[in-house]
Amino acid sequence: MSLNLRIVLLVIVCIYLLVIIKQIKNKKLQINFCIIWIIISILLIIAVCIPNFIETISNKLGFEVASNMVFFLTIFIAFYLIFMLTLKISQENSKTRELIQEISILNKKIEDYRKKEDK
Amino acid sequence: MKIILIIPAYNEEKNILNVCKAIEEYDNDLDYIVINDGSTDNTLKILQENNINHINLISNLGIGGAVQTGYKYAYRNGYDIAIQFDGDGQHDVKYIKNICEPIINEKANLCIGSRYIKGHESKFQSTFMRRLGKNIISFMIKICCHQKITDPTSGFRAVDRTIIKKFSEYYPVEYPEPESLVTVIKSGEKVIEVPVNMNERQGGKSSIHAWKNVSYIVKVSIAIIVNSIRWKGKRKNVIKS
Repeated sequence: MSLNLRIVLLVIVCIYLLVIIKQIKNKKLQINFCIIWIIISILLIIAVCIPNFIETISNKLGFEVASNMVFFLTIFIAFYLIFMLTLKISQENSKTRELIQEISILNKKIEDYRKKEDK
Repeated sequence: MKIILIIPAYNEEKNILNVCKAIEEYDNDLDYIVINDGSTDNTLKILQENNINHINLISNLGIGGAVQTGYKYAYRNGYDIAIQFDGDGQHDVKYIKNICEPIINEKANLCIGSRYIKGHESKFQSTFMRRLGKNIISFMIKICCHQKITDPTSGFRAVDRTIIKKFSEYYPVEYPEPESLVTVIKSGEKVIEVPVNMNERQGGKSSIHAWKNVSYIVKVSIAIIVNSIRWKGKRKNVIKS
């Protein structure tokens, strides 16, 4: 990697990290949801800053080409994140269902009381 | 014995009033509750104007969520028997007594009104594809639970208090009828079928569309297998502890 490319990449990753931190500060993101994103961005900064960092690791792990390891890791993390999101959606779904049911039953109770009072 | 009919209704403006009238004609003291599942037509208006006992779900939940609301209501109001009854006029009120009987006599915890019991087949038989699907689901349940259920997708069912409690805590949402059957059988409860007659739909749309049939069967089969595994695991845990 040329020095120019390194600097450009470093700037991009830093912007990315700043965006995440800003969203947390604005309370649009809960911190437990984006810890993984912060870890990823720190890893990216390390990979950009230290020359031959990725190559050394991939050689030691036995990957033939460094890009193979990068693709493998990216896809693995992506799968993991998507699965976690599915899990989360599923949980939120049941919570919403329960909420709708409880509110509807409560509504009915309120209406029943109102009818009794009218009589 | 306090008995309640749970009637889920989604866009049933044409049928719901007839169904409620039929129930009142059949037995005036019978409690029933209509669950309006976020209908987009005039169902809610009809329910309010005719002073029908109903719960109005503030958002559409699908048949499973609607029925579960009914079970929650039944459980909290101390009903001993809950009967699931369709809001589209497919089910015949005459059979309410038959379907309750095994529960009252404590012969079963869950009683299904079946269209397909040998010798008592319902006059109205659905399309070939539907029956094929039903046979496949029936076969899957036979394999996983070792019990033959002739009409696993029937929405005409009576349950006792233990199952009301169970369903109010957990009720499968996506494919409620066959899935809930598996969970009930797997947890060691007794399931019985009685013959009933069902009418053709008077109006409205079935929740299962013909073109979705194949994907429905595949998904239900997977759901049955997954459910039977989960309940086996749970049972083992109970024995251990």
